[in-house]
Amino acid sequence: MRERMRLAATRDLELLRSTLVAGREPTRPSISICAGTGCRAHGAMDLFDEFRRQLDAGGLDDVEVRATGCHGFCERGPLVVIFPKKIFYHGVKPKDVESVIEKTIRNGEIVESLLYKDPVTKEKSLLEHEVPFYAKQQRIVFRNNGKIDPTCIEDYIVADGYVALARALTGMNPEEVIDAVKQAGLRGRGGGGFPTGRKWEICRAQPGDEKYIICNGDEGDPGAFMDRSIMEGDPHSVLEGMTIGAFAIGAHKGYVYVRSEYPLALANLTEALEQSRSYGLLGRDIFGSGFAFDVELIRGAGAFVCGEETGMIASILGDIGSPRQRPPYPAESGLRGKPTNINNVETWANVPVIIERGPDWFAGIGTEKSKGTKVFSLVGKVKNTGLVEVPMGTTLREIVYDIGGGIPKEREFKAVQTGGPSGGCIPESLVDLPVDFEKLTEAGGMMGSGGLIVMDERTCMVDVAKYFLNFLVDESCGKCTPCREGLFQMYSILSRISQGRGQAGDIELLEQLGTYVRDTSLCQLGGTAANPVLSTLRYFRDEYLAHIEKKECPAGVCKELVTFRVEADACTGCGLCKRVCPSESIAGEKKEPHTIDMATCVKCGVCYEECRFNAVIAE
Amino acid sequence: MARLGVFVCWCGANIAETVDCEEVSRYAGTLPGVTVARSYKYMCSDPGQRIVTDAIQEHNLSGVVVASCSPRMHEPTFRKTAATVGLNPYMLEMANIREHCSWVHTDRREATEKAKDLVRLLVEKVKRNVPLKEIEVPVTQRVMVIGAGIAGIQAALDVATAGYEVVLVERKPSIGGHMSMLDETFPTLDCSQCILTPRMVEVMQSENITLHSFSEIEQVDGYIGNFNVKVVKKARSIDLDKCTGCGDCWNNCMSRNRITEPVPVSVREKTPPDVVAKVDAIVEKFTDDAGMVVGALQDVQNEFNYLRQDALMYLSEKAAIPLSRLYAVARFYNAFSLKPRGKHIIRVCLGTACHLRGGGNIADAITRELGIGHGETTKDMMFTLERVNCLGACALAPVVTVNNKYYGKMSIDKMLKVIEECAGEPAAV
Ligand SMILES: Cc1cc2nc3c(=O)[nH]c(=O)nc-3n(C[C@H](O)[C@H](O)[C@H](O)COP(=O)(O)O)c2cc1C
Ligand code: SF4
Ligand code: SF4
Ligand code: FES
Repeated sequence: MRERMRLAATRDLELLRSTLVAGREPTRPSISICAGTGCRAHGAMDLFDEFRRQLDAGGLDDVEVRATGCHGFCERGPLVVIFPKKIFYHGVKPKDVESVIEKTIRNGEIVESLLYKDPVTKEKSLLEHEVPFYAKQQRIVFRNNGKIDPTCIEDYIVADGYVALARALTGMNPEEVIDAVKQAGLRGRGGGGFPTGRKWEICRAQPGDEKYIICNGDEGDPGAFMDRSIMEGDPHSVLEGMTIGAFAIGAHKGYVYVRSEYPLALANLTEALEQSRSYGLLGRDIFGSGFAFDVELIRGAGAFVCGEETGMIASILGDIGSPRQRPPYPAESGLRGKPTNINNVETWANVPVIIERGPDWFAGIGTEKSKGTKVFSLVGKVKNTGLVEVPMGTTLREIVYDIGGGIPKEREFKAVQTGGPSGGCIPESLVDLPVDFEKLTEAGGMMGSGGLIVMDERTCMVDVAKYFLNFLVDESCGKCTPCREGLFQMYSILSRISQGRGQAGDIELLEQLGTYVRDTSLCQLGGTAANPVLSTLRYFRDEYLAHIEKKECPAGVCKELVTFRVEADACTGCGLCKRVCPSESIAGEKKEPHTIDMATCVKCGVCYEECRFNAVIAE
Repeated sequence: MARLGVFVCWCGANIAETVDCEEVSRYAGTLPGVTVARSYKYMCSDPGQRIVTDAIQEHNLSGVVVASCSPRMHEPTFRKTAATVGLNPYMLEMANIREHCSWVHTDRREATEKAKDLVRLLVEKVKRNVPLKEIEVPVTQRVMVIGAGIAGIQAALDVATAGYEVVLVERKPSIGGHMSMLDETFPTLDCSQCILTPRMVEVMQSENITLHSFSEIEQVDGYIGNFNVKVVKKARSIDLDKCTGCGDCWNNCMSRNRITEPVPVSVREKTPPDVVAKVDAIVEKFTDDAGMVVGALQDVQNEFNYLRQDALMYLSEKAAIPLSRLYAVARFYNAFSLKPRGKHIIRVCLGTACHLRGGGNIADAITRELGIGHGETTKDMMFTLERVNCLGACALAPVVTVNNKYYGKMSIDKMLKVIEECAGEPAAV
C-alpha cells in the first residue's frame, strides 16, 4: 500500500507528480485491459485474471496488468492495449492470452488476427486512434478514460490531474473561475443546456454561507450510459470539477447521486474519495488555501424522476422523489432550504480542462452557441455501437456513418432518437444536421443527456412513441394530474392504434392531450413527455395513418397487425429461422424453402429480424 | 326449469372498447337455463329496452340479467321495464361489467373473460331468486353507525347534519381508527391528522350523535328499518358514593384491564434476534438520520433479499422513522421489493436500445419458459424476473443480468441456456 501524504501546497503536487513520472518506465511493456461494463460483459475480468496468471507463471511478474475505464468501443470488447507501443487489440479471448504474451510482450511482434480490420477497406489498424471509429472523435471528457486505472489516484495525477484545482484555489478568485467557465461557453450536459457559469453565478450571489452542490449521476435516460463510464473510468475528473465549482460558488459540501444500477461507479467513487482525502485534496484547507470541501455519495434507488433537480433533493433527504413547484429554484432554495447547484456528471468533468487549458481553447471547439464536445451513446440499429465524443456541430451523418459504420444488414436508415423520453426522432432527411443544442431542439429532438438511438426501416414509429409513453407512465411520480392521467390516456390511445383499433380523430386527440400535458404538468417529466409522440407525428404521420386507416404496420413490428410468411423464392433453406424461432413454428428441410405455422407463431419477429436473405416477409 | 334472458350492453365505447360484448353474449347463450342472449349498443335507450321487453314476451322469460353499468345507475330503469310486461321486477338482476370491469381493466382478453364470469354469476343468482312482493312497514328514524373510524365518523356526521339521530358505536376507548395512525394520505399527501381531528371534535359537539365508545355490539335482530341491537358498554368507572373500597373488582377484573390502553409492546421483543442484530448493524452506519431512509432500505434489502416486514417494523422502531414513511419510500423506488425474491434474479433490459433490438422477446421467452411475469418469482423460489429500464450497457443490446452478472447481445437461445445452468444448482433455502 502506497503511503499518501497530505499535499499542503501546490508545490507538493508538482513534486509528487515528478516523482511519480520518474518512477514509471515508459519503455517497459505493460497491458491495459478495458474493464468498463461492456467489456466486463464480454469477459474482461476473466481475461485480466488469465493475463496475470500466465505472466506470473512465465516469470513475467514485473509486467503490469491494468484494468482501465471504458474506451467506448463496447461493440468490439474486450479491448486490450499493449504498452509501450500502444498496440490495440479487440475481441481478445482468454485463449488469445498465450500468443499475446509470447509474441507481443516477449518479442514485440503483432498478433495480426486481433487487430481491427475495417470491414470495407480491409485495412488493419495498429493503434487505437487509427481505427475509423475513433478517427473523427475528439476526446476531452474522455481524456483519461481507457488510459488510467480509475482506482489509482496517482495515474490521474500523472495525467495532469488536480493541476486545475491547484490553479483555481491558489491563483484565482471565485469570480475569475466563474468568468472562465462563462467565457468557455460551457452549457449543462444533463438535459437543458443551461449555461453553467451563469448557474454558478446565481448560486454564488445568494445570501448565506451554507450552500450545497450536487453531481447528478442518476442517468435515467434509457439507452444512455456515458455518465456511468465517466464515473467508473475517471472518477477524479468529476471530483476535481466539483471541488473547483464548490470553490467558485462558495459551497463546502457536495453530493454525488449515483444511479442504483451502477455499483462499480459507486465503488470507484468511494475509492477515489478516500484517496483524495488522504492527499488532502478534499477536506480542510485544500492546498493551503483555507478552502474546505467534502463530498458524500448517495445511492439512488431506481426512479427516473429523481433525475429532476427538486426530485433529487427530496430523494437525498430520504423522501420519495416527488418534484415540487419551481420557483423557488434550487439555486435559491434547494437542499435543506439552502442555495444548491446541480450539474450533470459530464458537465463537472469538463470543468478541470477548461481551467487547465483555458477558456479560449475550449470556446474554440464547437459551434457558435454550443461549445466543446458532447459524448453520445451511439446505440440501436448501427454497426459500431458504443460511446463517442465529438465536437458540437458534428453532423448526424458523420456520427452514424463515419463513426458508427452505418446500418447493419444493409437495411435503410430511418431516424435517430435523441434526448430519451424527453426528446424526439429526427428523420433520415435531416441527416446532415449539425448536432448542437439549438439545432436539435429546432428539429424537434433534444440534446438531453446524449442518448443517440439509431433506427432502421424495421423500427415502427408508433411503437417507439408507445414505448416511451409506457416508460413515462411507469415513471411518473403521480403527484400531478395532467402527467399521471394524461400520459395514461395518451398511452391507451397509442396502444389502441398499434392494435389496429385506432379511430379517425385519434391523432388530433393525441396532439391535443400532448399540449395539455406539456403546458400544465408540474415538472419537466410531464412537461416534455409528449415530445416523442409529437415529433414522430411531425415526421412520420403517414405511419400513424397506415395503422389507423389501413390497419397495417409498415415496419412489421406491431404484433396485432402483422403476419409472417417465408417467400419461397428468396429462401435458401439455411434453417436459421427455424433454430431461432422460440415457439418452434417454423418447419422445413435443409436447402428447401421453410414455412411458418401462423397458428402457433407468437409474432416475436425474430425470424424476420434474423433471416439474412430477407426471405421472411411481414404483412 | 328457468327460462332466462341475458342482455349485454356496449354502453357505446365505454364497455365495448375493452370487453368483446358479442363474445360475452355468445357465451351467455350457452349457459344452462339461458333461453336468449343479445347485445346492443345502448340497452337503456328506448330501442334497447324494447329488445328486453320483446324478448320477455316472446320467450316467456322467467328471469333476466342485464350486463351493463352499475345497478346504482339503471337497476330501477330495467326493473320498471320488466314490470311493464308482467315480469316480477326482482327476477331481474344487473351484472356490472362497466365500473367493475371495462373501466378498470386494460387488457381486452382478460376483461372479456371477467365479464363472462360476472354474467355467469348473475345468471346463477337469478335462478335462485324468488318473486318478491312490495309491502310497507313503519321505519324508526334513527341510524346506528358501527365503527368510528374516519368513514364511520363522516357517515355519522352526514346523517346527523341531515337532522337524524345517530348512535355511534366504537369498540376502542377512542374514536379515529386507522387514520389516526397515518402520516399522510394518498394522492394529495395531505396531513391526515388535519383531516381527522376536527371531525372527532365535531362528533362530540353534535347534538344528534350519541357516542358509545369502548362498547361492543353483542346481538343484532330485526330488519331494515326496525333493527334491535344490543350494545355492551364496558365498565370504565365506579360509583364513588356506593364503593366501599373493598378492592374485589380490582383483584377479580377478568381482563386485568386496569389500564384501558394496551401497553405498547416493543417491536424488538417480537422480532427474531438475528433480524434485530442485522438491522442494528445497518442503523449504526448512518449518522445523518434525515437522509438515511433510502440507504438503510437498500441495506436491509441486500441483507434479506427483500424488504421483510419484521425487519421494516423493527427499523421503524429503532430509527424512529414512521413505518408509513418506510413503506412510502419502498413503494416509490423501483429497486425495492416487498416480496421474497428467488435465488436467481434475472433482469431483462427494456431500455430504448434493448427494446429496439428485441429485449422484449427475451422477457417474453422467460415468461413462457418459467411462467413468471415482471416482479414474480417461481414457486420453487429459484427465479425472479424483473423487466428494467436500462442496465447501462446499451452498446451490447439486448442486455440481461443474472445475479448482477452482465450478458450482452443476448438471444432467446442463450437465455434459455443460462436458465438451464442456474436451474441445475440446488434450490434456495
Ligand atoms: C424527469 C427528468 C429527469 C432527468 N434526469 C436527469 C439525469 O438522469 N441526469 C442528469 O444529469 N440530468 C437529468 N435531468 C436534468 C436535471 O434536472 C438538471 O437539469 C441537470 O442535472 C442540470 O445539470 P446541467 O446543467 O449540468 O445539465 C432530468 C430532468 C428531468 C425533468
Ligand atoms: S409532471 Fe409527472 S413526474 Fe413531474 S411532478 Fe407531475 S406527476 Fe410527478
Ligand atoms: S432464415 Fe431466411 S433463408 Fe434461412 S431458412 Fe429461414 S427464411 Fe429461409
Ligand atoms: S438500453 Fe438496455 S442497457 Fe441501456
